[in-house]
Parts: sequence; structure tokens; C-alpha cells
Amino acid sequence: MIRKALAALAIAGLVAAVLRMRGTGGTPPQEGGWRELSGPELS
Amino acid sequence: MGAGAVGARLARQLVSTDAVESVVVREERTSRLDAVAQSLGGSALADQAPYADPVDADVVVLAGPAGSHVSQARAFMERNQHVVSVSDELADVRGLLDLDIEARERRLSVVVGAGFCPGLTDVLAAHAASRVDEVDEVHVAKAGTGGPACARQHHRALGHMAHDWRDGGWVQRPPGSGRELCWFPDPIGAQDCYRAALPDARLLVPAFPSVARVTARVAATRRDRLTAGLPMLWPTHPEGGPGAVRVEVRGSRGAARDVVVYGAIDRPAVAAGAVSAVAALWAVEGRLRRVGAGGLAELVEPGPFLGELVRRGVRTAVFQGDAAPVA
Repeated sequence: MIRKALAALAIAGLVAAVLRMRGTGGTPPQEGGWRELSGPELS
Repeated sequence: MGAGAVGARLARQLVSTDAVESVVVREERTSRLDAVAQSLGGSALADQAPYADPVDADVVVLAGPAGSHVSQARAFMERNQHVVSVSDELADVRGLLDLDIEARERRLSVVVGAGFCPGLTDVLAAHAASRVDEVDEVHVAKAGTGGPACARQHHRALGHMAHDWRDGGWVQRPPGSGRELCWFPDPIGAQDCYRAALPDARLLVPAFPSVARVTARVAATRRDRLTAGLPMLWPTHPEGGPGAVRVEVRGSRGAARDVVVYGAIDRPAVAAGAVSAVAALWAVEGRLRRVGAGGLAELVEPGPFLGELVRRGVRTAVFQGDAAPVA
């Protein structure tokens, strides 16, 4: 039973590592905010 | 036509515009008409005739109760007058868009959904779309209501099926579903938004032929959702509170994916009054892109239109993150 649980954890870790290494989703914005539109942006 | 929260602000916008010779304010409620006429200081002509009766004007703005705008628009078109409607009711918008062929034949403009949402949101969507090469998705959200009529329409919308555009076809979704946490400009901030019977997708799809998904959501509380199927159980604020809109356009720029998010914050009735006033002026001045019936995303050059709204006090904003477009 313990061997099965350890095997499952190992496989889950392996899959997560592969996804993390191969993921191409980019980095979502970590900061920023609303800025009022003005000047040349309104032409 | 109509001197409610939006109609009164619209009249104020028009009487303060140099190019406007005269403004007729038509309202069937005597007390409201008197109050609005008094607030305008005699610079507008008060008229208590039924909404669809003839009026001597180059353009007629329909700001009365939702549900009757199609018949009124048809009546004024037959008198060769441009029409601007602020209705945000789905049936009104669909009916007004169906007047397109007749309006083109008559060389008239029928501007549909010229309010806060739809209206300002359509202009923001068109402006955001100009920053990408190809538009894939447009997602609109709004928070807050204008006057009592707007609040009642908001309540009704949460009780009827939503119409989303998905992969080239219309999909009906249950109202109150699809919860999404939408971030509006401060001080509105984050609000849970849900699907409802909103007309935005009907107006945006014709403006972006390549678009695959268009959705619209409205901010609502648990109480709003729970009581959506019932008549309104409590009185509404006569002028509404501050509101906000948010428009997210996803598309491609070159080989990269990009997302442009625009927003605005204002009292919905005030912003709707400004949007409908500018739309009416542009219709008369022949500044719309084409004749016929359509939404503002199709009919106006978004940059100059937004510039005119900013000049009239409407605040628009762009959301900026720090990440580059994803290749």
C-alpha cells in the first residue's frame, strides 16, 4: 500500500515537472493597473 | 423621447452644444417633464405628446421605456429622421437591427444601443480592436445601473437566457450562470459577473467578422440572482450609483497573441447621456461610417468618438500589465 502511494506521488511529481518545464503559457501580468486614456490614444 | 435619468442628461448635453439649434424634450409624465425643463433653464422646449407623435427634428433620440423603441424608430424613419436608441433590451436591439435595409434605402442612420453598455462598450471594443490585427474574442462586463428604468431592465435581464456568440453561431446560456470575477476601474474594483439577456453580442458580432467568441456579463449580487424571476421587490435609486464597464479584446498581433482591456467609470446615466448625444450629433453631421442600422462599434471611428466623450467628462482607461504579448 505504501509502495503504491509513493509510486503515485512520484508519477504525479514527474508529470508536474514535465508540464512545468514544457509549459508555454507565458507569465501572466504580475503588476500593473488602470491608466486613464489620453492624448494620442484618442485620435 | 423620454426624460428619465438618461434622457435628462442627454438633453443637458445637447443644449450645451453650440451646433444644436434647439432641443425638444418629450416626456409623458408631467411632473418629470416640468422638473427636467426647469433644470434646463428654458433652453429646451418641453413637449408632453405621445412618444411616437411627429416632431420637427433632424434626429430623434429614443430614451423612453424599453420595449417600444422599434415601433417608434419605424415611425420616425418614415418621416425621414435619423434615430438613436439607448435601449439595452435584447428584443429592442434585435428589432432595431432588422431595420437596417429600410434605413439604408432611406439613407438614414439608426444608431442602436447608444448608451453606457451597450454603447460606450462598443466604442471601447472597436478601439481595442484597432490595436490588434485580428480579433478572436470580445468579452464585455458592466457594473451598476442608471435610473429606475435601467435597474428594472437589469433585473429582467438576469431572468432571461443569455445569447453568446461562439464559433460562428448563437448559443443560449442560462441567466445567472458563468460566474466570472471581473476587475473594473477603481473604485468599483472586482465584481462577480454573470450571464444575462444582454444585447452586446448582437451589436458586436457584425462589427468583427472574424470574431469567434463574444460574451457579455453583468455584475450581480446573490440577492439579484435569487430574485431575478420575481418582480422587483424594492424601490430603486432615482439616479443610480457609480458604475463601470470593462471590455476585453483578445486577438493576434503579428505572430503573437495579445489581450487589450479597456474600461470606464461613471454614473451610467451620465455616460449614456453623453454617448447618445455625440451619436446624435454625428448622425446629423454625416460623420458615421455608413447609413443604416447598427451599433457604435460598426458606425463610428472609435478614437475621435472617445476623444469627444473625454472632452465631455467621460473617463476611460486601459488596463496595463507588465508582461509582453505571448508568442
